[in-house]
Amino acid sequence: MNQADVSKLVSKLRVKVLPRHRNLPGPKGPEGRIDKLRKTVTGLIKFERIELNYNRADEARQYAERLISEAIRHGDCHKPTMDTADFWLLEKELVHKLFKVLVPRYESTNLSYTRLYNAPRPQYGRSLDKVVLELRGNPYPDLLNNKSNNRLLIQNVLLDAAKNEYRQTKIAEMAKNIGKVGATQNTDSKINEAHEKPNIS
Amino acid sequence: MALAIRWSSSEVFGAAKWFIRRDCRALSTIPERAEEQTVSPKRERQATSRVRISARNPNLGLRHAYPEFLPDPNPKWRNSLREKLERSDMLKRRNQIDIPEFYVGSILAVTIADPHAQGKTNRFVGICIERKGCGLRAEFTLRNVVDHQGVEVRYDLYDPTVQSIQVLRLEKRLDDKLLYLRDALPEYSTFSFDMDPEVLPEGTPVPVNPVQVKLKPRPWLERWERQELKGVANIEEHLKEKDRVRRELRATPWEKYDLMKQYRNTIPIEDQNDIWAEVNHQLRQLQLTRKTTARKRTFTTPKSQLG
Amino acid sequence: MRRQILCLSTKVTQNSCTKALPLTRFLSSQEAIDRRYHLFTLEKKRQLDNVGRIEKIEVQYKGVPKSCTLIMNKGISTPYDCARHLSEWHVESSALALLDGSVYWDMHRPLTENCTLELQNFSVAEPQQVNKAFWRTCSFVLGACATIAFKDTVPVKLHSFPGPDIRSGSFIYDVDLPTLSDWKPTQQELITLAAEYIKLTRLNEPLERLEVGEELALEMFVENEHKTKQIPSIARHNGKVTLYKVGKHVDISKGPMISTTGQIGRLSIASVHKINGSAEGDVKQLYRFQGVALPTGVMMNHFTFSILAQRAKKLNPVKSPIPKPVEAEEKEEIAMKG
Repeated sequence: MNQADVSKLVSKLRVKVLPRHRNLPGPKGPEGRIDKLRKTVTGLIKFERIELNYNRADEARQYAERLISEAIRHGDCHKPTMDTADFWLLEKELVHKLFKVLVPRYESTNLSYTRLYNAPRPQYGRSLDKVVLELRGNPYPDLLNNKSNNRLLIQNVLLDAAKNEYRQTKIAEMAKNIGKVGATQNTDSKINEAHEKPNIS
Repeated sequence: MALAIRWSSSEVFGAAKWFIRRDCRALSTIPERAEEQTVSPKRERQATSRVRISARNPNLGLRHAYPEFLPDPNPKWRNSLREKLERSDMLKRRNQIDIPEFYVGSILAVTIADPHAQGKTNRFVGICIERKGCGLRAEFTLRNVVDHQGVEVRYDLYDPTVQSIQVLRLEKRLDDKLLYLRDALPEYSTFSFDMDPEVLPEGTPVPVNPVQVKLKPRPWLERWERQELKGVANIEEHLKEKDRVRRELRATPWEKYDLMKQYRNTIPIEDQNDIWAEVNHQLRQLQLTRKTTARKRTFTTPKSQLG
Repeated sequence: MRRQILCLSTKVTQNSCTKALPLTRFLSSQEAIDRRYHLFTLEKKRQLDNVGRIEKIEVQYKGVPKSCTLIMNKGISTPYDCARHLSEWHVESSALALLDGSVYWDMHRPLTENCTLELQNFSVAEPQQVNKAFWRTCSFVLGACATIAFKDTVPVKLHSFPGPDIRSGSFIYDVDLPTLSDWKPTQQELITLAAEYIKLTRLNEPLERLEVGEELALEMFVENEHKTKQIPSIARHNGKVTLYKVGKHVDISKGPMISTTGQIGRLSIASVHKINGSAEGDVKQLYRFQGVALPTGVMMNHFTFSILAQRAKKLNPVKSPIPKPVEAEEKEEIAMKG
């Protein structure tokens, strides 16, 4: 049982974090691992959408999330955060992008800053899982084709109209009841009516 | 519980005396408040961020004084129910005896029940060189040099045989662990058993003792030169060229930037907020009672010359 | 064949509408359907023959997987043919074509000139027109379903269906059942109607469009006095009447419509309401068939769909095509097939 490190405060990541890191083996050991991740994080911040192998993408995703959350938490006047950004972003103009573009973009969001999609992998050849890693709110077209939220789709139009009509009838009912209550001074019936309000859709 | 105890009968008397005379002293939680204030103007600038709002919780300052209330950061060993039960047990124990705020580097006197000792109690004074563990298993190690022999005692913080824990000098050192005192000259870890407790004026931050110890010549228990210690003065004197080369080879300058390693070693703010909200009230109550009793003692206890 | 058409048209010109009416006595509804279908195919063939020498047009397709240019036959090739050049997915999912970014065009209507082409399915970003076409098609097929669902002893005269209003919650067709004066369908009968409807959709018939002259239209709908009354006002603008055909059923509609009946997915024939007309008008009463449907591939929870079906049971508030309501009179036995 270890004691938690209390010298630093970190904000919770909105992505799944494995109990242990992945080694990303290579001839240079842990240093090589960090170098690989630096390249990937730099690429992600630069291009906002990249395709790569799953293991590396998942690791780099966590680092990118941490970097952005640190940038949001401390801002650009905090020396250690600036050093960290300087270390992780190999191209220095991306430091400006991190603090001036990404921080305002994600400052008031409840979601993770990145998204990870499974990508199709070649039928033949090495069967490594391929994924697409992207920053949320990137300028590219959406990868998923889920448009079921469009209010103009026929099913949504029908449901909207049904909801509207239901509300209208309920309001009319309530208005009628209020009139009745005003006449008879009977508040009990009104309370009973108010409780019977199921919700559709 | 005890790794090694060297004990003399006269000091057992002393323990009893100390226990009776000066039980506890007022605790200061001011330092955390002071720290928060230094950072706050920067945070207020962008008040919109949710992340910042959650980080502004004043309860977070409690983490320095009560680190054992935070669970183990390794998710394999997390169990929210067990953690909750442990926290309530810890608070119950804290209602029984006064466990003061102390840090690595503080000098403590601990009295434990010992059925084999004369007077059934055993008192030990030493410098806290390490704090480990979380929950009910939190522990700390005291080190002292008794009769030219280094002695280290490891105590469990919530051990029911602990009768009192008294802070004789509340201070921090430059490092998180003072294990290098084992290889330092003995005067750095020698403390007399009849030390008077030093009372800090209320509201002062916990002082950091900038003393740098001198190590004995090699052989050492650990390779201190590789640990980037701030509290050691003469480490370079004892190194050979070979050691310096290997230190360079073994250096891990990237670890400072390994954001996920840091993350895996800490409890995130959002989780901490829940924990501190749970225990905050009782901890503050305990602090208040401790403060009032300490104030009473300072006024009522007559000056004793027994020392 | 042309001679036949000529014969017919001369016959129409010779006989006025009132003179043609006695003919209706000899037509059962099945015979009328067959006759109309026959005339439709003849006219369609004639119009195709009129195209004459085949000319090529360039159709610039825009959309997934990538934009391209197709060389098609003028007056013969339809957007459906273009989709068949692209992929099966395009063929199955496209409901409507959009020419030059502004003109909505049926999938089975021949292209007449160079244009850009976008294929629209039910999940495009702005599906209002597709939805309207879908709703219109649903009404249209409901008419076809109503004509074939009744026994031969019950004459069915389709009246009309109003323009698509999706927010009203149901598509409708007003039908005149002259021998049934007070018919209230049971649940079983509604289910039978829906089953007939589903049979039609399963056939996956294309909806073919044809523009015919007023005379021919009158000739086709000679046994249906409601339609014969409507045709002159429809043809007032350019003397043309737009007809659609699904299977053997031919009906008048402004269009456009979706590609095939297979694109109508889940549906429910919710209710049949009686609408009463004024006593002095020529139409005493009509039956308003109501239903609700979703395109193929739209997933909806059964509970949610039951809400829509319940709502479709209420009488649709669209204005009745016949004047004032009056009280209905007699009762009569209903008789339905299946």
